[in-house]
Amino acid sequence: MDVSLTSDNPFCTRWVRPGAIPFLFPPGENAEKLADRLRQAGWWGEITGPHGSGKSALLAALTAAIERAGQRTVLVVLHDAERRLPVDLRNDPRLRPPVLLMVDGYEQLSRWQRLALKRFCRRQGTGLLVTAHDSVGLPPLYRTVATLDVAAQIVAQLMGDRRPPFTPEEVSQRLSRRNGNLREMLFDLYDLFEQRRPSAGQNMT
Amino acid sequence: MSTEPTVVIRLDGDGSVYRPGETLSGQYRIKSLAPLEVKAIEVSVLWHSEGKGDEDMAVHEFWRHDADESHPIDPGQPERFRTTLPNSPLSYEGQMIKLRWCVRVRVFPSRGKEVVGERVFQLGNVPPLRGH
Amino acid sequence: MNLDARDERTAESWALARSFRYYGKKRGNRRTGSPLLGSVGEALFWAVLLLLGCGGAIVLLLNFVLPEWRVNHEFVPTTCKVLDKRIAERQGEDGPLFRPEIKIEYEVGSETYRGWHYDIHHHEIGGGYSGGRENAQAVLNQFARYDRAKETRYPCWYDPGNPYVAVLVRGYRWWIWLAFTVPASFVVIGAGGLLYTLWHWGKSAEHRAAMTQRAQERDFFGASGNDPCPYPFVPQGADMTNSPGTRLKFRLPMAKSPGWALLGTLALCVILNAVSVFAVIAIRRHLADRPDWFLTLCIVPCVLIGLGAIGIFLRQLLVTAGIGPTLVEISGHPLQPGREYRLFLSQSGRLTINSMSVWLVCAETATYRQGTNTRTETQEVHRQELFCRQQFQIERGLRFETEIEFRVPEGAMHSFKADHNEINWAVAVEGDVVGWPRYKRSFPVIVRPANGEIDP
Repeated sequence: MDVSLTSDNPFCTRWVRPGAIPFLFPPGENAEKLADRLRQAGWWGEITGPHGSGKSALLAALTAAIERAGQRTVLVVLHDAERRLPVDLRNDPRLRPPVLLMVDGYEQLSRWQRLALKRFCRRQGTGLLVTAHDSVGLPPLYRTVATLDVAAQIVAQLMGDRRPPFTPEEVSQRLSRRNGNLREMLFDLYDLFEQRRPSAGQNMT
Repeated sequence: MSTEPTVVIRLDGDGSVYRPGETLSGQYRIKSLAPLEVKAIEVSVLWHSEGKGDEDMAVHEFWRHDADESHPIDPGQPERFRTTLPNSPLSYEGQMIKLRWCVRVRVFPSRGKEVVGERVFQLGNVPPLRGH
Repeated sequence: MNLDARDERTAESWALARSFRYYGKKRGNRRTGSPLLGSVGEALFWAVLLLLGCGGAIVLLLNFVLPEWRVNHEFVPTTCKVLDKRIAERQGEDGPLFRPEIKIEYEVGSETYRGWHYDIHHHEIGGGYSGGRENAQAVLNQFARYDRAKETRYPCWYDPGNPYVAVLVRGYRWWIWLAFTVPASFVVIGAGGLLYTLWHWGKSAEHRAAMTQRAQERDFFGASGNDPCPYPFVPQGADMTNSPGTRLKFRLPMAKSPGWALLGTLALCVILNAVSVFAVIAIRRHLADRPDWFLTLCIVPCVLIGLGAIGIFLRQLLVTAGIGPTLVEISGHPLQPGREYRLFLSQSGRLTINSMSVWLVCAETATYRQGTNTRTETQEVHRQELFCRQQFQIERGLRFETEIEFRVPEGAMHSFKADHNEINWAVAVEGDVVGWPRYKRSFPVIVRPANGEIDP
């Protein structure tokens, strides 16, 4: 296995965060088609899928296609325990229609916040595209699934023309150990890449 | 032959390993860009992290040169830079965290996208960790 | 050598002809959408807040402050007779509202004016009303109707520009100034945000970082007048050297005090056992042959959890009390790679020790926010045994004490702390004690870069 000490670890966060890796669409599917489907649904939709299956990455991939389709976008990402939207719906000038509000982590919001948001979007004529682990009652746009094929493609993309220091079977093992969570699999591969770098020079111990 | 603009950065001396408190100096120039096509150039000496955590970055030294009508920037003309390196943080190749120092030159052309060039160097002499 | 693979000895650097923003937040190194539109939107947002604040301040000024100022500075004093008085009432959103109204008669030149007045706010449409009828009555009680025999007159003030407007009281309402805090906060936040956005408009990540750091350095100078920190991103560790030792120079503080952990567990225990009140009720009903099975079924799992919490608390209490305090002192601090130090260890408690060891440990901690998750991972990258002893006793009332000499490894990385990444060193004392759970007590230390000067 050929791994250079001086190589960046291709699995570090800089290269694997959403948007850094282009979303891999299955054959026959692409960002433009999804954007069109969203437009036909009145710019309302949900992207669902398990942890680490690429929902945030898909949202990032769709943004450019949605804007090309003539719809301005505003992205809100909700983190752990964030139960309220960090935007002022009434006064934020970015939310004047026509606009599509994208909420990553929609299920973090309290029920009241979700109702208020939906009511606001309906009244304003604002589009709403959300990500969640399970359906939240909006028109389904896409369900992300982490397959071994997708994992292998991502690994190949990250490695570029370098030979990976692990076998496809090891990638498969890591993916199933993480129950299909691509994000955690990539973190595991980070550790594996580090472990299998040939050491050079003095060790601290 | 590529007509894409590129940045060439050279560091004086060995140009690879520096001690804290030592002077880092060098020069840069831009290829394939005409004098009137450069609006501004920024030169930074900075460190950034890589690894499993979100990236941290800090700029140790920063210069910006704006072109004006009386003093256009000649990108082909090498420009020098010089700074005294700080005591920390040292370059580090750890397990989950790597700290990298570099000189980064960012060129703002009058038209088109920015051009960025980077030259990595090592500050200090912390040996890389062996994988656990 | 830790060089980027693309670097050559001839120092040809690589270029990125595409738009490369290192500071890409949630979407790697590529911003989605137009950065210009994003900045414009951000600026608009702050501008709206600023305008709302200014508008609110102007409304308060025109409707409250200015009228009161005119009364106090421009109105002409005179006297008046009180002809009649009443409490006016109108319906508000939350109930009836009241205001005192006093009918007065006063002269301006050769003209006589009569009207219902009190203060300047009565002359605004719907002004001067408040919730308390008693307050309005108290105002009316201060004024007696005109009595020819006593010729009682009261001071009043009229508007020279419109003598029909008169008041019986002057001064300023204190709460109006309090009300200014609302628009003021909008102005401050809006102006601050707008300035921040404009200041950072169109600037590269390096430029923004440089500006922020310069501002922080200026603050530092302004606040304390000291030189900037000589070891950027190396923690100062002042709390590690503010406690002198009895045998060696410094006594190191423990990372997590067992006392606070115990207090936390106790608080949790109390909260979880609050349901015991309902357990008592359920038991009483059973004893009185009136069993409440619904309450009983609900209370059983809660009681079990509460008992579990008590068990955890008691275990922690026994460990804390039974395994006495561990003290660690050190001959010098901060530490430096390649140098030697002495460590003093003291352990008390009546214990039979299987093994006790002291380690010098380095751990990396990385925090990552992706999507909706925050993930913090810590990994030990260096572990060096400084001391180990097995199979010995610590008698009651006595302490186990020992001094240890050690050397920090030559190529050790220094302590480091940034927003998302940390490298931390610590002295860890680990014990395997007969009849007690294994314990580990950690004493953080700072390691400075190898060239760093240390305090004498």
